[in-house]
Amino acid sequence: MTRREKILAYLEKRTLSMAQGVTTSEISEAIGVLRPNVSKELNQLVREGKIKKTNGRPVRYVVNHAAGNRKIKMEQKPNIGFAGDARISDQSIKEKYTANKNEVDVFENMIGSRGSLKNQVEQAKAALLYPPHGLNTLIIGPTGSGKTYFANKMYHFALDREIISKKGFTVFNCADYAHNPELLMSHLFGYVKGAFTGANDDKDGLIQEADGGILFLDEVHRLPPEGQEMIFYFMDHGTYSRLGETAKSHHADVRLVYATTEDPESSLLQTFVRRIPIIIQLPGFNQRSAREKLQLLEQLLTLEANRIHKNIRLSEDVVQALLGSITYGNVGQLKSNIQLVCAQGFLNSMHNKNEITLHFSQLPPNIKDGLSNLANNRQELGNLSRLLEPTMVIKPDAKRGLPDIDSYELPYNLYEIIGDKAALLKDEGLDQAAINNFIMTDINLHLKSFYRQGKLEKTVSSLNEIVDQEIIDLTKQIQRLLQERENYPVRDNFIYAMSLHISSFIKRVQSGKPLRNISADLISMVHDYPAELKIAERVKDLIEDHYRFPIPESEVYYMAILLVSLKSEPKTGKVGIVVAAHGNSTASSMVQVVSQLLSVDNIAAYDMPLEMSPKVALDGIASQVKNIDQGDGVLLLVDMGSLSTFSSKLTEKTNIRVKTIDMVTTAMVLEAARKTALIDSDLETVYRELHEFDGYSRTIEKVQKKKNDVQKISDQRDKAIIAICSTGKGTARRIKDLLDKILVDNLIDDITVITVSVVNMKEQIAKIQQKYQIVATTGVVKPKVAAPFVSLENLLQGGGESFVSLIEEINNNRAAREAETLEHSEFLTEEMSQKYLGQYFTFINPAKIVKILWNYCDFIQQRSKSKMSNAFRISLIMHMAGALERYLTRSEMSADEQKLSSVRTEKLYPIVKQANEVLHETLNINLSDAEVYYTVELFNTEKEKSDTQNN
Amino acid sequence: MTMDVRLLRIDSRLLHGQVTTNWAKAINVNRILVVSDRVARDMIRKTLIVQAAPPGIRTNVITVEKMIRIYHDPRFDGLKPMILVEDPVDARCVVEGGIKIDSINIGAISFDNTRVMVTDTIAVSAADVEAFKWFHDRGIKLDVRKVSNDSSKNLWKSLSEKGLV
Repeated sequence: MTRREKILAYLEKRTLSMAQGVTTSEISEAIGVLRPNVSKELNQLVREGKIKKTNGRPVRYVVNHAAGNRKIKMEQKPNIGFAGDARISDQSIKEKYTANKNEVDVFENMIGSRGSLKNQVEQAKAALLYPPHGLNTLIIGPTGSGKTYFANKMYHFALDREIISKKGFTVFNCADYAHNPELLMSHLFGYVKGAFTGANDDKDGLIQEADGGILFLDEVHRLPPEGQEMIFYFMDHGTYSRLGETAKSHHADVRLVYATTEDPESSLLQTFVRRIPIIIQLPGFNQRSAREKLQLLEQLLTLEANRIHKNIRLSEDVVQALLGSITYGNVGQLKSNIQLVCAQGFLNSMHNKNEITLHFSQLPPNIKDGLSNLANNRQELGNLSRLLEPTMVIKPDAKRGLPDIDSYELPYNLYEIIGDKAALLKDEGLDQAAINNFIMTDINLHLKSFYRQGKLEKTVSSLNEIVDQEIIDLTKQIQRLLQERENYPVRDNFIYAMSLHISSFIKRVQSGKPLRNISADLISMVHDYPAELKIAERVKDLIEDHYRFPIPESEVYYMAILLVSLKSEPKTGKVGIVVAAHGNSTASSMVQVVSQLLSVDNIAAYDMPLEMSPKVALDGIASQVKNIDQGDGVLLLVDMGSLSTFSSKLTEKTNIRVKTIDMVTTAMVLEAARKTALIDSDLETVYRELHEFDGYSRTIEKVQKKKNDVQKISDQRDKAIIAICSTGKGTARRIKDLLDKILVDNLIDDITVITVSVVNMKEQIAKIQQKYQIVATTGVVKPKVAAPFVSLENLLQGGGESFVSLIEEINNNRAAREAETLEHSEFLTEEMSQKYLGQYFTFINPAKIVKILWNYCDFIQQRSKSKMSNAFRISLIMHMAGALERYLTRSEMSADEQKLSSVRTEKLYPIVKQANEVLHETLNINLSDAEVYYTVELFNTEKEKSDTQNN
Repeated sequence: MTMDVRLLRIDSRLLHGQVTTNWAKAINVNRILVVSDRVARDMIRKTLIVQAAPPGIRTNVITVEKMIRIYHDPRFDGLKPMILVEDPVDARCVVEGGIKIDSINIGAISFDNTRVMVTDTIAVSAADVEAFKWFHDRGIKLDVRKVSNDSSKNLWKSLSEKGLV
């Protein structure tokens, strides 16, 4: 009997004798299960409708005889609240339900249904109402934008309008089984007895289960190709086959709603996009209006208020911090953040029966930062401020609720756990501060799961490794003060640059090194920036206050320089770039590399799968051109001459000037990006320069040779990377040390890292350029140099890896691309294997043997159910050719008995044996067990490698 | 102190599968250096080689000139590499560049029409023989082994038996 069954059984028994139900503690004692575990199960059961709980404390539970299973519950409560919605009695919901039916539109009360979601709602209704069976729909939106919520609304709408016959909203997340396509397929389509080991009975899949209702497929981009095909077939014909059947004889009437976070431009989705008539794009949180943001916040807070049955009081700055704390996670993140601060507030206001108060000072740091994030966006802040009251009180409101099918919902009642735990700790005699501390750790643990998926904390932690936490904290304090008191606009890199600066300065003072001199240059430069000098004085005071030692006047000047360099630069229009290339992800992966390396935003990709028609491609490229244009024209990089005629057509279509270059390599894209983004050039100039950059024939060998020659003649200078900080001595030195290590680690010995101070930067760089060719720059400020700039954040976060790939791109620009072509081309792999076989082996006939070994690989791949990369395939073919040749020359490998016996227990051993048996049949060659050992080892090494890569 | 070269190996296929993994484990190296001007220029081969490298050991493909350069550069003293070259001529260039070793491991040299077979897996050309002579004259051992636990055979003996030296 499981814990859950025990609890249910006990409740059954007790409910008969005691009408008022039992408490968690009673159950815990009676069945001997720890209280928190009981509590968790109970909440789960409440949620499933199997049991009910009473109002008031202690909470008592009774078996819910009225509700048998989940589906009936759906029927009872279309607008389900949330776990533990005790105060909303079933009665009121029922009334509301009957009143609503057929009259009120469920979309009406959805926030934004008349604003940012207006079109989306219209689309959804159209899709559902379209005769006779509606249209399949794809919902696209970033993480946490409310795709599941929206789909749920669609379901309720369909239910209310009686356009679906069955009450069922079946949810399936394709990511859950993405690593095991067969399992996924069996869940979706069902299977017949004997379809695979363990299939002891026929089983229906979710498609059948959803017959007459709606099937919601989340993260549909994770659906494997086999699944896509079957789903498409099902969409077209309404029939499907279960696993193990050949005829598509099953019929189901299912409305399909798909959802994905994927970029609709990605080629994978394009297959879907082409076949699904209705595409609903949900906006991210930041695209919503200030009013809607506030409404969302209120609604989510109301949920929490309902849960704790208390009012929630919060000030303007808490509201702003919460709204500003939303980065990539959208409404889902807002929900998690609200849960976090409410849990904290609940803990701190435990003594107050009617109300909890959220204080700004008590917010976790990442949410506090939200305030400064918001402050950076003046317009948004202005819009919000107009709507905000100094304080906001949220009252529990039974009428507002969200459906509980939601990955952001915790699987237990957090407040109950907090309450229980606090009581427990109090009994133990702990004081309030200790209790709060203890429980906060707990709350964080519970809520961390959301953040663990993202990268929110990563940035600061890597900075942690080089700078003391104390200095980071101090810097944050300075940042806040500057923002609040001085109205100084602060960019993202402020924390990095400032804390590194302070850190190196403090170290200097502590080690007793002489003070820096103030040069005349420095003084004259700073005098152009009186405002920054004034702020620098303030910062100096703050640091003096904190460390309690005097800071020399010269530092104020350096600080002022730093502030000047950190000030945001005004944005100017840049020439846009669109990269269009054949292949499923060739263009987008190149663009990704380049935009990461150079942190540029004027570049877009368009992937063209081979089967795509030119017409579709033209339209697709045109829309990308429109997206990326900032008014100064667009440069189009294409991988085939035939596309170069697009220029005039595109200009005609979009009214944007377009120039086309028929050459795409990562190096080319890099060159284009840095010419457009880093140096202000107009379209004609960039086009002309790029044409010269690669205006020669496209044969790889020739290009290679010419390029080498050209470089040798034109540039005899040594290569250098410039690291910039305000003094050229502090942060820049650290960067130099870091980079030197990375360079050595990558065996790069021909690049020097040179440190430069912001003072006189232009002159210094000009001087360096006489001797060196600058290949990249990094530091607190981006100099005007025709070389990629890597921001401090990127440098420190990636551990310098991005720098290395950048350097490798510069040194030899094709490696990544070739590897990718290799992985995409079967033909190429086979051809190449044959070439290498001829090159390295003496006795075997490459043309004859390559096919046999190719099949050998397929055989093993099929049976071991693991995918081989093309590189590994070549490796295995070469290895097996070696084994055959060793057999022919009677020089087979040897392996000791221990190895031979250990290999027999390997999972792959029988498969390799079978494969060798096939070789035996074809070639009459019988490979020894020692050879089998080495073959299995080859696989193991490969596996070990991919495992370490994945970790 | 200079770089501690743990093994210099001649193998036409340079780095491949199990053989390299076996050696890397047996002789405790922290880096694999594939030294070949040809491969350093051939991106596809370079990619294949780097992808076939054993887990946990970084692999670089570099030119002969660079090999010699970094060998004498004190910044790279911490390396304990296994050096892989394609043929005896490259091996000679490396040793002439100052890299100190007292034996050379020969795995396989593949046959082509300029070469004759000396053992099952080793074929030599006139230039190769010239290079092997050069090594022999400097007292460098020519050790024939596929994997580390094979018993070692002296290539000089096979060359003499064939009347090539």
